[in-house]
Formats: sequence, C-alpha cells, structure tokens
Amino acid sequence: MATAGTSGEARSDWSLLARIAQKDEEALSALYDRYSGLVFSTAKRILHRTGEAEEILQDVFYQIWETAERFDPERGSLAGWLLVAARNRAISKLRGKREWAGELDENGVTLSVEIESRAAQNLLLDRVRGVMENLPEGQREALECAYFEGMSHTEIAQKTGQPLGTVKTRIRSALERLKKVLG
Amino acid sequence: MTNGEHIREEELELLAAGALTDDEAAALQAHASGCEECALKLAQSRGDVALLTFATKQERPAGTVKAEFMARIRASREREEHFAWPLRRRTSNASEAAEYVTGDKTVNWLNWVLVPAAVALAVVSLALSWQNRRVSQALEKQRHATQALLNEREETNKLVGLLAAGDTITVKLAPAAETVGSGVVKYNGRMGMVVYSAQLPAPPAGKSYQMWLVRANGAPINAGVMEKGAHAIGPVWMAEVPANAEAKAFAVTLEPAGGVPQPTGPKVLIGAS
Repeated sequence: MATAGTSGEARSDWSLLARIAQKDEEALSALYDRYSGLVFSTAKRILHRTGEAEEILQDVFYQIWETAERFDPERGSLAGWLLVAARNRAISKLRGKREWAGELDENGVTLSVEIESRAAQNLLLDRVRGVMENLPEGQREALECAYFEGMSHTEIAQKTGQPLGTVKTRIRSALERLKKVLG
Repeated sequence: MTNGEHIREEELELLAAGALTDDEAAALQAHASGCEECALKLAQSRGDVALLTFATKQERPAGTVKAEFMARIRASREREEHFAWPLRRRTSNASEAAEYVTGDKTVNWLNWVLVPAAVALAVVSLALSWQNRRVSQALEKQRHATQALLNEREETNKLVGLLAAGDTITVKLAPAAETVGSGVVKYNGRMGMVVYSAQLPAPPAGKSYQMWLVRANGAPINAGVMEKGAHAIGPVWMAEVPANAEAKAFAVTLEPAGGVPQPTGPKVLIGAS
C-alpha cells in the first residue's frame, strides 16, 4: 500500500527532485514515468527517429540524475526545463549544432499551467491541439518550422517565399493565440 | 536589439520560439543572463512555447528504454561507490594511525608499515581508476554502436515498408539540359517518404547533388543531399517529407556542398510523377 508522500502523482516534482539529489532511484523512476512520454514525443517529433529520440530521452534524465542538486525552484519549472532541454538537444542533433551545455544554469523556464498530473497533461493536449488546428496555415507553418525544425526567421522566409517581417509577425501572432488560450 | 535597457517583447518571443539566428540568440541570451527582468520574461516565454509539445503526437517510449536507463544509473552509482570506498578507508586508517602514534611513541615503527601500505593502496586505486575508465569507454563505444545498428534497422524497416506499400509510385529521372545520368524515385505521399538512387558523375569540388520534391503548388521540398552517409543505405538515399504533399515532379540540382533550403543551382535530373 502506498503511503502519504510516496504515491504516484501525489509527489511534487520538487520533492522528487530533492530525493533524486540524494541518489534515490525510486524518485528518478517516478519522475521518468511522469514525463518520459512528453520528452520522448518532443524529440521524436523533431528527429523522426525512434532510436535518436530514445537517446535524447536518456540523456535528459541522466542530466537530472547527475545535477539534481543544482536545480533551483525559484528559477522556474522542472517540467518546463525537461521539455525545453529535450527540444534543444533534438534540434542540436538535427542541425549538427553544439551541445547545449550550461542551459541548466542559464535558462529558466516558467510554465503558466500545471502539468504534473496525467489529467492536466490530457487537458493540455486538447487545448494546444485545438489552438494549432485553428491557426491560419502560414502562422502554424512558421511556428512549427522555428520550434520543431530549428529554422531561423531568415530560413523560414527563404523556405516559404514570404518577407522576413511577415514571418516574424506570423510567429508572434501564433504565440499570442497560444498564450491567450492557455492564459 | 533592446528597448533602452531591456530586450523587446517581440525579440523575446522569437528567441523563445527558436526563430533567431545563432548570433542573434547568443546576443540576447548574454543580455538576459545579466538582467533579472529579461531573464524572468524569457523564462515565461520559453514556458509558453514549450507547451507546443502538447501539439505533437504523444508516444510512450518502449519499456526496454527505461530498463536500459535505470541500468545505466545503477552502473554509474556502482562506479562512484567503488571509488569512494578505498578513499574512506584510507582516510580512516590515517586518522587512527595518527592517534596511535601520538599516544605512544614506542609504536612509531608502525609508520614503516602504514606509509608503504598507503602508497600501495594509492597505486592500486590509480590502477583501478585507469581500468574503470577503459571499461567505461568501451561500454560507451558499445552503446553508440548499438544505437547505430538500431537506427540502421529502423531505416531498413521504413525502406521495406515503402517498397511493399501498394500506393508507392515510381518516377524515373532523365537528364536535364546537357547533363548525363539517370535515376529512379519511389515516393509514398501517405507515408511522407522518398527513396531514390541515381547514376551521376561525381559532383565538382565544393558541390553536392540535392533531391527536390516539386509540388503542384508552393515551393519545392528538400528531399535530401546525395552525400555519403547522409541518410543513405548503400547507394540508396531516403528522406522524410511532409505527408500528402502533392508531388508534381522530382528533380536533382547541383548545389553548394551540404545543400541549401531552396534550389539555386542547375537541374541535373528531372522526372514528372
């Protein structure tokens, strides 16, 4: 029987992280179960290869294991960091860029919504997909090219044949729409 | 770059979305790392954009991946504990010996035993450290080799799937203008995959051949650079393209080495689908 403070989703990310910093494998396993799907799906969306996405997944959680004591709750969300770390590593691999060393210290990520529970994750799936499906084609394409393909505004302008200003406006408009719905 | 002291809102959003060039991003990040207000805003923008993950197809990794990962964690712990043990023992022995010698000078002869023992222990520890590093390197090499094999198997499975699919079309490529050569393309719009091979003279130095899916409407889609090792299985190249793209034709152009986002060079091969 599970006891208070040790059962599944009842444990907060930060309490798990504190235990991971003490080299608690069970806590790492629980954190992995909670976010491995999101991290893996992000990397797979970018790389399109299961093997490489699995490699990113392992690397991201290994970094958590190795450097858990360096995470500062005041600098943002652990879940947010996981998603951004997965995206950045996958883009680096895709485009042959440098590794994103040091991002842990430099890049805080603040989530405006809670995604620790499976229920919250399922709710967000519907809401974010709804936003993306209803975006004008040009906005959706520009945002996806930037975030999931790592293309700069200049490259997107070349690809789509649109002026640079239009590309920037499309990305910002798409983000505004996303924020509005999530806010 | 900045509005007075701080990064403009639109630049923060483009940075969070990953839409800036490396140089632009580095400049803004350098500012944010020393500016609490911009760092907070950037963290919020990053968080908003990170939720795009929820727009992707959600997949769970295979159970074997977790098992492999936890085994890696256990191996790493065992390595750390292995090296921590002799260090603790050595410290303890030295401390005990110090107390012993201070308390009774008649046992100074123990130094003649303990010092060589400590030196021997240090030598053994160094040897173990060296051996462990070698084992770790070998394991890492093996992990990369396994990963490469898994990737290759995945590519081969995709290739077999495309060739076996009933809705895969074949497009023969013929020379364009004054060029020589030939090629063949297998394309499946439903799967969003292109597989091709070509007989062409070696490209000039600093140049590469690049394959394009030419759409009925819209800009051509990059279907890969024909370079050794670039998504190639032997002499066959494979590329993923957006699903259900209306392919009007396929064309090979001569481009700067490494490829370009949109065709700029002369057509070498072309074939209508």
